[in-house]
Amino acid sequence: MNGNRILAIVLRHLYVWPRGLERFMWSIGWPMVSLFSWGLTASYLQTFSSLSISITTLILGGIIFWSITTRSQLETTVNFMDEMWNKNLINIFSSPLTIGEFLTATILLDLIKLVISVSILTITAYLLYSLNLIGFGWYLPLFVINLLLFGWSVGFFIIGLMLRLGGRNIQELAWALLGFVAPFSCVYYPITSLPVWAQKIAIVLPTTYVFEEMRRFMFSHEVYWENLLLSLALNLLYLILSLLFIFLMFEKARETGNLTKMEG
Amino acid sequence: MVRNNVIEVNNLIKRFGHVTAIDGISFSVSDGEIVGLLGPNGAGKTTTIDMLIGILKPTAGKISIFGKPFEQNRGEILGEMNFSAAYINLPWKMKVWENLYTFGRLYNIADYKSKTNELLKEFMLEDLRDKFMRDLSSGQQARVYLCKAFINDPKLLLLDEPTAFMDPDVADTLRKLIVKKVQERKTTVVFTSHNMAEVTDICDRVIFLQHGKIVAEDTPIALAKKIRFCKIRLLITDGQKRTLTYCRKQKIKARVEGRFVSVDIREKEIAAFLSSLADIGVDYDEISIDKPTLEDFFLKTARGN
Repeated sequence: MNGNRILAIVLRHLYVWPRGLERFMWSIGWPMVSLFSWGLTASYLQTFSSLSISITTLILGGIIFWSITTRSQLETTVNFMDEMWNKNLINIFSSPLTIGEFLTATILLDLIKLVISVSILTITAYLLYSLNLIGFGWYLPLFVINLLLFGWSVGFFIIGLMLRLGGRNIQELAWALLGFVAPFSCVYYPITSLPVWAQKIAIVLPTTYVFEEMRRFMFSHEVYWENLLLSLALNLLYLILSLLFIFLMFEKARETGNLTKMEG
Repeated sequence: MVRNNVIEVNNLIKRFGHVTAIDGISFSVSDGEIVGLLGPNGAGKTTTIDMLIGILKPTAGKISIFGKPFEQNRGEILGEMNFSAAYINLPWKMKVWENLYTFGRLYNIADYKSKTNELLKEFMLEDLRDKFMRDLSSGQQARVYLCKAFINDPKLLLLDEPTAFMDPDVADTLRKLIVKKVQERKTTVVFTSHNMAEVTDICDRVIFLQHGKIVAEDTPIALAKKIRFCKIRLLITDGQKRTLTYCRKQKIKARVEGRFVSVDIREKEIAAFLSSLADIGVDYDEISIDKPTLEDFFLKTARGN
């Protein structure tokens, strides 16, 4: 790992970040739109609710936490796709840059942008709906780490698929895949709300445990540590598998010529 | 003077499924040499270049660069070489200096800022350093690509059709800049182009690929000399029929091309041929005698003659 090369990729993407409306929308714009529209909806539904806690808090907590996973996944894949769209993949991978350094750079970029976007979302949620995420205390970093790790695993998996099957064929997954995962992650409702077959999928998703514990904390101010540890264990497993997959697919792309074809 | 081999390729094979793109080629390139890879479309030039820069893995065979096996020393070798091609871009939402700084950092250049300034000056891009790539003309973009290619003062430079899609004036300027830089630094270059005059002008040696195999390898002049016939073009004012009849009788290849008669003939037979035309009363206004060129060799080989 070479720090200069990682820095090169980080700065290269930071240069262009403020220059495109689409990047702003992906990082901050769309999560803010969700926050406003779901916040208003939840505030309205609250007037009919007899629950002991705020529906707004439940929904907005879900939105902000889920945005951590979606942003981290999107950041990882979009940085790769940006190189592909710019026909820059051959340039960077004919330099001494390794795929490991590239992925490390995307993780750093994700963390930088996430701090900014989640801070804005959190402050907005607090100002508009009195949702205080800091109230999660020391559980908050654990939730965030688990959500980040899952986003990265999915992001790496999508890049691996692009390397194997061609970028243009697969790029829609960057926006769609987590959309399919969200219902099984129980972002806004407990796992018991799912049909039995769906619960079997939900229990292998690390995000499910985060959202279950988020709600448990909101209701009872307690968290089952073993669930968070299980989430972490699943995340580490998926992260290792996704990294193996992407390294394997990168080498495969060098064999099949997909790395050059992706530029066309 | 004994020169070290910078590139050594042994029995290189690249297959894509059932298609064999490169079929067991072997060649070497010496230190400071400029070698042209020539061949018709689909001959395997870009595939060879892609394997030399490591974005494509050979199916079989060995590539050694700077005396080291490529796969085992990929990072180290890539740090000492660079690449530019007509079919790649630099990010269009980035400014010229941002792109060059990025590659300066990627190639671990200690003083990449000074290096960028130096290259911008050499390639006459100083006024454009704050421009976005998208706002540059294709000729200006090509100069930025070349700045990128020279950012690490590469010992080995691979250029895949660097002047393709450019008007002759811009291509000529670029060619001169490349030659100047390469001669200054004694850089080893592998160069592909469809412009035969360019290859003749720049390259010390040419490797001719066809259907993934090396079919010829020599200096541009020696390859051109393999075509033994010169071409004489005559604008005949009186006696076109007589000329064609004479050629037919003498088994000289001749054809009418618009207002001209074009004749393929050995160099040493030219004097006798022109003397014979005078004897049979043929008058002509214009005459041009073209020696065989690399392009003639290219066309002949590519067409399988």
